[in-house]
Parts: sequence; C-alpha cells; structure tokens
Amino acid sequence: MTGIGPVEPVESPGAGESQDVIGGDGPRWADRWSAWWGGLPPRARGALAATAAALVAAGVLLLTDDPPPEPPATPLPWPANVTAWRYLGPAGLPETDGTRPTSGRFRFAVDVTAGPPVTLQVTGAAFPGLTAHALPHAFTVHAGTTRRVTVEIAVSDCSGLPRNADLPFLDVTLRNARAIQHHSFIFGRAYSEDLFALLRGACDPTSPPRAPRPSGSAGSQNAD
Amino acid sequence: MIVRRSMVILTSVMATGALTLTACGSRDDKGGNSDSGGGTTLTIGVDAPLSGENSTTGLGIQYGAQIAVDDANKNKLVPGVTFKLKAFDDKAQPATGQSNATAITGDKTAVGAVGPLNSGVAQSMQQVFASANMVEISPSNTNPALTQGKDWQTAKKRPYKTYFRTATTDELQGSFAADYAYNGLKKKKVFVVDDKQTYGAGLAKIFNEQFKKLGGTVVGTDHVNTGDKDFGSLVTKVKSSGADLLYYGGQYDESSLITKQLKDGGVKIPLFGGDGMFASTYIETAGAASEGDLATAVGVPADTLPAAKTFIETYKSKGYKGDYGAYGAYSYDATTAIIKAVKAAVDANDGKVPTDINALRSSVVDNVQKSDFEGISGKVSFDQYGDTTNKQLTVYQVTKGAWKAVKTGTAS
Repeated sequence: MTGIGPVEPVESPGAGESQDVIGGDGPRWADRWSAWWGGLPPRARGALAATAAALVAAGVLLLTDDPPPEPPATPLPWPANVTAWRYLGPAGLPETDGTRPTSGRFRFAVDVTAGPPVTLQVTGAAFPGLTAHALPHAFTVHAGTTRRVTVEIAVSDCSGLPRNADLPFLDVTLRNARAIQHHSFIFGRAYSEDLFALLRGACDPTSPPRAPRPSGSAGSQNAD
Repeated sequence: MIVRRSMVILTSVMATGALTLTACGSRDDKGGNSDSGGGTTLTIGVDAPLSGENSTTGLGIQYGAQIAVDDANKNKLVPGVTFKLKAFDDKAQPATGQSNATAITGDKTAVGAVGPLNSGVAQSMQQVFASANMVEISPSNTNPALTQGKDWQTAKKRPYKTYFRTATTDELQGSFAADYAYNGLKKKKVFVVDDKQTYGAGLAKIFNEQFKKLGGTVVGTDHVNTGDKDFGSLVTKVKSSGADLLYYGGQYDESSLITKQLKDGGVKIPLFGGDGMFASTYIETAGAASEGDLATAVGVPADTLPAAKTFIETYKSKGYKGDYGAYGAYSYDATTAIIKAVKAAVDANDGKVPTDINALRSSVVDNVQKSDFEGISGKVSFDQYGDTTNKQLTVYQVTKGAWKAVKTGTAS
C-alpha cells in the first residue's frame, strides 16, 4: 500500500469524442504515410521493410516475455526503530516565586530516520513521583528531520524517589502508519545529573539550592 | 495512446540493443571469457558453543552467520570472492575458545571471525585475534570491560582495536532490568545470584548496584557453578530471605533448573535474568514453572524488524537447529559487516583481492570500524570502543508458555 488512496477519474472524455484523434485538423495519418512511401526509391523501400520486420519480431519477443517483476514494496518501519532522542541540556526553570523549584525543563533533539511521520507523546520520566510532558504534549517528526523539543518534568511525590540512579529515561508513546508503541528512551550521565539535581532540590531540604539554569529556548519547537 | 507509443519506442530500443549486444558478443568471443573460473575463496570463522551448555543460542549464532554468507555469495556482494564459513565449537570453555581463535588466525584464507557467545570466552580470544590483526565481532558479548577496559566505570579505555560487538552492554541491560524490577514490577526485595562467570557475575553486580540506588533492598546474594543441577540449598536461602524477586546473572542451562526447583519448593516468586537466559530452551526445560519469569535481551523483538522477516523465514525453511531469537540477526549483521569490509578492501585495491593476507586483514579491521549500513537488526556501526551504536533492549516475560515483549528501550 502506498497510502495514495482511491484514484478519482480525471477529465473523462465525452461519449462522442474519439480517443484516436491526434491533430484533428491535419491530413489523415494513412494518407500522409502513403504519399511518403510512394516517393521513396525502391532500394530504400526494401531496406526500410527489412528493418520494420526486425522491429516487429523484437516487439513480438518483448510482448511474449513475462513482464519484469516489480520491486518488492518496502515495509513500513515500526516507529521505535526509526526514532532517536538526544539530550541537549536543561532549558531553564518555570518561575517559582523564590521557593524551591519542583519542576524543570529539559531540551532534547528527536530524529526520525525513515518511514512515515511519527507522532510522539511523552508519558513519564522513569520514576513514580514524577510527571512529564512535552511542550506541546504531542508533536510530529517527519523522516529525515530533527525536531527540538522541551520536556517539563515535575516532582509530585518525593517519597520513594531515588536521589541518584544511572541511565534514567523518558517513557514515550510513538505512533506512525505502521504501529503504536510504548518505548523508553534512555539517556546518559548529563541528563542523569540534571534530573537528579532537580529531584534533590525539590525533595531534600538540606541540599544546597539548585544553581540557576541557563534559560535556553524552553519553548522552542524549531525543526532543524 | 501513451502506452501504445511507449511500446513502439521500447520495441525499437530493444531491437537496436539486441543488435548491439550481438556485435559485442562477436568481439568478446575473440578475446576470451572473463567469467570462466578463477575467483578467490575467503574464510570467515564462527565460534560459539555448538554442543552442550549454551548451544541453543550458540547454534543461532552459527546459522545466523551461515545465512549471511549464503546471501553474500548468492548476491555476489564481493565480485570474484566466494565466502566460506568455518564453524568452531568452544563448548562455552575459554581454553577451547582460545584454541579455536588460534586455528582461525592460522588459516591463511581467513579474514575475520564472528563470536563468541560468552564474554568469558571472549576474554581468552581477544589477544589472539589482536596479535593476528584479524577482526572479531561478537553478536552477543555484553560485559562492558571487553570494549571499554576493566575500569570502564571510571576511565574507559579500549583494549583491542580488532574486537567489536553488535550487542549492547550489560551497563545498559543491568540498569534497565533493575528499573523494570523496581518500578515496573514493584519489587522491593531481591535475591541476587550469579554463576561466577565474566558475563553472569558482571551483569548481577550491575543489577545489584542499580536496584539499591533506586531504593530497593538486596536481601541476599549467592553464587552457583555452571553445570550444577541441584539448587536445593539456594532455594532454602531464597525462601528464608523473604525476597519477592530472584535475579540471576548467567545462562539458561542453570536458571531453568533454578526456577523449577524454586517453584517446586514453594517459593512462588519470579526469576529475572539477562540475555543469557532468553532462549526457548529455558521455557521448554522449566515448563510451567517459568510462567511469569523475565529476561532482558539485546535488540528489539524480531517481529518489529521488517528486514529480519526473510532471515527468519530462511532459518526456519532450512530447518536449522538452535534459537535465532536471541542473537541470530546480530550474527547475520556481524558477518555482513566483515563481508562489506572485505568489499571495501577490494574496491580500494582496484577491484582485486589483496594478495597479502595480512594486508587484507588489516584493511578489514579498519573498514569494519567504518561500518555504516542498515542491517537486519537495524543500523550497523561502531563507536570508538568497538561497541555497537544500536543500543536497544527489550524486557521479555514468559506468558502462556512463550517469551512476550513487555517493555522496549533505546539508549542514546
């Protein structure tokens, strides 16, 4: 399937029109051929007749051969297999009127390498006690493009939250024309440090206040 | 009308082309036939446990490589070169693996090797391949130290430039499993067991550390020996510990017996392990006792990889033994990486196979490092340590007698 959809008839000819008319105002094709052929010398007529016979023979061979096989259709990829996330850095904090921030914003680059467009929605940030959503909640990335997105993570419950862990991830729902998948995108040390700085600041009264973050382009949704 | 006119034009072109080809054929007959005979046969070694313990997954590696070689030969991926696969059984023993590596590097037609299955076996083989400057690509080794050095947690340093892998590491696998155990399954008390091998002990250690970081409690640890059959004392320890999960670092041969004896002993908790127990044999051996057990495995489920469909069909139609599910596609891609590296070496040598085998091996190592193609398991390329850049993982759970994917993830 190509996704083209049903094909509508385009400008169908009227019932009285002939489909064989080419240049209706000129002489008939047979008349012109007859006049031209009659004007040729006998030797030229013989050579042309032989060539025409060869062409007809080749044409018969061509028509009796099996048609060349159509290349197999490329199956649509599953969205998780063509989507990649990269952590870019913190994107600044929401205004907090001087209190300890309980949420932070983080910037990511999302690539889709092939297939139909992928629509993504962030659904979680690895740990119960955290909520996460992208700005905007759902966004679409086309194949061959990179989209920068900001994800806001908020601490809703400190109990049970770790203060340090390796390889935290985002839970994301991906949807394309092939499938809907729930998938985790796992990030390295830089994201871990920034995330747990937020968690410690929000949940540990004894920890030093969190240093101001670069504001970045928190609301940027630019597509590269 | 367009169709009719196109047919006339096409017919004319065909007739002209046929005459031209006939003329060329006449001249060629005088000059000889470039397709008659000749060609070079190059060998790719594959090493894995092909009998006894771990052989279910080992055979998946062997036949994954075989299908890749067959495809390359059929498609004439490297014109003028026929590839031959030579399989070696290491029986999951490091010493045997080392002997096999010596045999492979001693073959003057060999350009590279795929395998082994076990990280501990790989440790004994790496130096042999490095000395011969021959590429070795494992589709299944996951111990981080193999590519990043023994101090991988603090100061990564690549030990051997000839060693690569298409499987991701236990740093990712152990952490992913710990998170799923703690946050997904809501397990808070775990008993951690390993088989004292490089792979099993390393994976269990990473899981242990990460589970505790997340807030969980490791209520006990123990070790078993590969080849053990009776785990009665372990069952007693786990029962008295109050654990709500048993994590096992090791292979399916032991873990399938452990979970059966655990459930038979009245300890109704799931057993969770790594890719070493992601095999159909685990379920076949443990039977109903395996229901609800879990394993992480490298990569994403094969049925979400359209490119792997033909591979799976071929594997089944050939009636190959073993289980392709864990590493078969990664073995196929590892083999293809070597073959493509040979092609690059030939292309760089004016289309001729370098006559000096050492020069060819060296070129293959360099070109494998530059690999960048779409394999049947996804993108195939390697980072500066020789690790795959394709870092996908799946958590599987035994559901109604079969492994079912319950969570997938990708590391950046």
